[in-house]
Amino acid sequence: MLQPIRIQGTDDTPQVILDPNPDNPKFEISGRSLPEDVVAFYEPILEWLDEYAKNPLPKTVFDFKLEYFNTASSKLLLDILLKLEDMYDDGHDVLVRWHYPEDDEDMQEAGEEYADIVEVPFEQVPYSVD
Amino acid sequence: MSEEILNALIQLFAIIAKQDQGLHPKELEYIESFLTQQLGKEAVEKYLEEFKRKATEEDIKKRRRIKSDKDKKLTLVSDSVRILGICRKINKTLNRPQKVVVLVRLFEMVNASRQFTPQRMAIINTVAEVFNISKEEYEEIRNFVISDKIEDLDYDSILIVDDQPVKCKKCKFIKTESLDGQIIILRIKSAELYFLRYTGNENIFLNGLPIFNNRIYLFPTGATIKLPKGKPIYYSDVVAKFLAEYSTIRLSFDVIDIHYRFPGGDVGLHRINFSESQGKLVGIMGASGSGKTTLLNVLTGIYKPTSGQVLVNGIDLHKDYEKLEGVLGYIPQDDLLIEELTVFDNLYFNALLLFKDKSKSEIVDIVNKTLKNLGLYEIRHLKVGNIFNKLISGGQRKRLNIALELLREPSILFVDEPTTGLSSRDSENVMDLLREIALKGKLVIVVIHQPSSDIYKMFDSMLILDTGYQVYYGNPIEAIIYFKTLDNQVNADVGECPVCGTVRPELIFNILEAKKVDEYGRYIDERKVSPQKWSEYFYTLKKIERVPTVHEEPKKTLNLPSKFKQYLIFLVRDIKAKLNNAQYVVLTMTESPILAFILTYLIRYIADPNSNVYVFYDNENIPPYIFMSIVVALFLGMTVSAEEIFRDRKILKREQFLNLSRGSYLMAKITILTLISAIQAFEYVIIGNSILGVRGMYFIYWFALFSTFVFANMLGLNISSAFNSAVTIYVMIPLLLIPQMVLGGAMFSFSKLNHKISTIGKVPLVAETMASRWAYEALMVYQYKNNKFERIFFNLDKAISDANYKQVHWIPALKDHLNDALDAWEDLQDDPEANVDSLKQAIKDDLLLLYNEIKEELRKNKHVTFNELDKLNLQDFDDDVYQKTMDYLDKLYSYYGQIFFTNDSKKEAIKAYMAKKDPGLYIRLRNNYMNERLQDIVTNAYEKYKILEYKHRLIRQAEPIYQDPDDSHWFGFRAHFYAYRKYFMGHYFDTYWFDIAVIWVMSILLYPPLYYEHFRKFVEWLGKINLGRLFKKLSFSSSSEGKSKAESN
Repeated sequence: MLQPIRIQGTDDTPQVILDPNPDNPKFEISGRSLPEDVVAFYEPILEWLDEYAKNPLPKTVFDFKLEYFNTASSKLLLDILLKLEDMYDDGHDVLVRWHYPEDDEDMQEAGEEYADIVEVPFEQVPYSVD
Repeated sequence: MSEEILNALIQLFAIIAKQDQGLHPKELEYIESFLTQQLGKEAVEKYLEEFKRKATEEDIKKRRRIKSDKDKKLTLVSDSVRILGICRKINKTLNRPQKVVVLVRLFEMVNASRQFTPQRMAIINTVAEVFNISKEEYEEIRNFVISDKIEDLDYDSILIVDDQPVKCKKCKFIKTESLDGQIIILRIKSAELYFLRYTGNENIFLNGLPIFNNRIYLFPTGATIKLPKGKPIYYSDVVAKFLAEYSTIRLSFDVIDIHYRFPGGDVGLHRINFSESQGKLVGIMGASGSGKTTLLNVLTGIYKPTSGQVLVNGIDLHKDYEKLEGVLGYIPQDDLLIEELTVFDNLYFNALLLFKDKSKSEIVDIVNKTLKNLGLYEIRHLKVGNIFNKLISGGQRKRLNIALELLREPSILFVDEPTTGLSSRDSENVMDLLREIALKGKLVIVVIHQPSSDIYKMFDSMLILDTGYQVYYGNPIEAIIYFKTLDNQVNADVGECPVCGTVRPELIFNILEAKKVDEYGRYIDERKVSPQKWSEYFYTLKKIERVPTVHEEPKKTLNLPSKFKQYLIFLVRDIKAKLNNAQYVVLTMTESPILAFILTYLIRYIADPNSNVYVFYDNENIPPYIFMSIVVALFLGMTVSAEEIFRDRKILKREQFLNLSRGSYLMAKITILTLISAIQAFEYVIIGNSILGVRGMYFIYWFALFSTFVFANMLGLNISSAFNSAVTIYVMIPLLLIPQMVLGGAMFSFSKLNHKISTIGKVPLVAETMASRWAYEALMVYQYKNNKFERIFFNLDKAISDANYKQVHWIPALKDHLNDALDAWEDLQDDPEANVDSLKQAIKDDLLLLYNEIKEELRKNKHVTFNELDKLNLQDFDDDVYQKTMDYLDKLYSYYGQIFFTNDSKKEAIKAYMAKKDPGLYIRLRNNYMNERLQDIVTNAYEKYKILEYKHRLIRQAEPIYQDPDDSHWFGFRAHFYAYRKYFMGHYFDTYWFDIAVIWVMSILLYPPLYYEHFRKFVEWLGKINLGRLFKKLSFSSSSEGKSKAESN
């Protein structure tokens, strides 16, 4: 059984939860992503996903709930999405949920752009901020 | 550039430009000049507007969520993702070099404003990552574009051109005369691109266009940078610096006092001298007919010089050729490609033949690498096609031809007129390639015809020939000065146009060939200075500098596989080429069944006009069918093979130069043709025999026709290698085919040919050499003797036939002679005054015939004895001998009567048995398996003279099929036509198998002349005699014409 990943978020790095527990699975990246060394931060996550893709759950729902990410992070987020796309191409059930504050046009557009690039079921989910 | 890509680029530029402080005026300026380079004026404005709009877009709404000051400078997330989208789109469309160019442009725009902010650099970095450009190359590009500090540029991919040495460890350096600033050149190895930047403020030009300070320029293949002072910098100079790490072999190539005289006696070359080392590009130039190709043939070792030497590292090329095997490479003017194969396959099979130790995958790698180097990788799957059906361009063809030889990297490469027929762009590409090869440490010697200025300047040395005389050797630009000085021209010391840098090599020829002027100022047909004089000038004024002789063995690059392996490679190559030609495949595979159908459908004859029932027995066309089938086999076999070698002869010439096995090549050809023949014969027989109802003989017919096909293949291959034009070859076919038809035995009876060639009682000697006659006899005899009907009766029929012949023809004829002899003898006794001599002669003749025939009979027939044989001569003959002989003949007569009776009864018994078993069986068998017309022929039914007298022998003409062959010579296989068996070396053989074996022996005998090209040599020899005589007779042909003719041969 693959060990779940749980990374606490900071001012510059997002919170990451990758938990394939069949009873209560959770795949989520949230917060702000501007790490000093993006590759070093995301490398373990991508490797974990490679491992997970070998034997995924019947349905994988991946939530992105980001406030901000920089250009370098955008490439790594794309790499994650491409891995999900591969899983989907291999016939697994995959859903990407892109959460954005309902008044954040920038984040909404970013989601739309991603949805254009990768071919994977993609859901835009606005949420209200109080 | 496509609109899609341009749009993508504009967006990319705009997103970068709007970061941080937003669009800088310098950046806008840069984009404008960038667009101006790419587009027309109107389009520039359109795209510029688009750029401005995107780069200054109000993002306030999107920035609502960004609260802190720190966040204000951050790139919008939507822009980040958009960049990814654009780059991925570009990835799908642009190749690697193009993407590198895009990256360089992005840097350049940022460099225009010099706002190297983190956000901008982050975006460019991300772009590079999506483009899969390595970190190292990214860094090199960045520093190359933005940094002026030498320390930042200390990479081995950097070359600096300056007037003083630069302080860097890794970077390369070219020293030049005084120059403000530096020229920095960057090599992107992964894309094999070169960029340049100039940091000074002088006027320097890239390919004639001014270079602006600190702008980045692509430095394209073959480009030239002109400096205010000093020699220009050529692309090849730059490449040489970067490629210097290639290990170089050391070479010395010395040509010492070469003279060459053509076999006809004309002098082709007078006193040629030069000397070169590795890394040089040498040109041989001259008007047509000046001996360029002759010289090349001498230098490559194909022609042996009349006197003088060519030394490669001290080894005499013409004496110790084996030691230099594989050192020399030769790229002739001819096209050496196999048109049905793809670009890749052409190289691949060539590589297989050259490198025996490399594995398949290594060879594929080598081929792909070479294709990439020569810019042919993209078209590697295209079929080469021929010159009329162009699938790849002339330049690509030429480069592929060069690639064939480059694969094995010979140390010395000879190239014959590589630019002829190419566009100037293609010419320069090809020459650049050759230049690059030279720079990698080879010696490249090129025969060049009318070079352009740029090409002329590429050469390190130039040898100029004038009608066989060497009139110059040395630096090409200096050649112009040298001749202008000798010609006393003004400004003779200027070699090239001072403003444009252009040289005019044709000037040299104008000076060389200048004509005298008569007193009226008209040019007369006499040169001011003869070639010989020019040569004398040269040897007086210039000294040939010899390079020091290298004593190490030159590197050999040839590693040929075994003959058997070569055979397999040739085989696969040929099969692939054949299968790639759909038209050829369809035609060869359908031709014989179609012919079989047409022929047999037409001759499926039913004798009874009121019947619809086809009866094999009654079809009179079976013998002609057999003969036509043989003609078809000969014809198809010849046509299918006639062009094979001829088409490959240029390739063959090269393969012989490489010492590849001709035997392997030929065997591969023969194997394929044999295979095709087997299929064609099979198709033919299946269709033909089925329609005509030839039962149970499929294999026999197939094997006979197949053997004939193979013979025709061998004949076709021989003529294919003998002649050098397709027309001659096809003219030859009837010449070979018609005798096969005439002397095949079917159209004209062998006994009724001109007496000069016919042999009484046997097949004429000329006909014995015809495959058609053997195949025809084989099939006729087998068809008659072995069909299901005759098989039952043949032995009986033979005995009956022999007995009948003896009784009806032979014994009566002998008795006649015996009586004649007795009459003459009695006359001699009675009348002493009679003409003694003529009577004696008559007796002698008669008795000799009797003696011969009876002796033969006694040898074969031990049942009837005769003791007076030795008395059958003039001295011993008397009425007693007569009587005894007559008694013997009578005994023989009854003996044969007995044989006849026994066998005939047996036959009747069989018939009766058959009738009892199944009343229709006999007729049915006969109708289905026997053919009446064929029987008539093999039994010679219509022959008037059943017996002939010739040279004191009786010759049987009756029923040859049953007659035994002459067995008097142990080795003599010759027999009468349609003999049912053959005698050879003390054994009897079935005619069919014996005849087919003869065809195979003939086919095999055609192999040595094919291998040694006897026919070609014979044809050449014929040509020489005729031409030589003609030339002397038509003495008006000038010597120079004669030379050029001989040269072109």
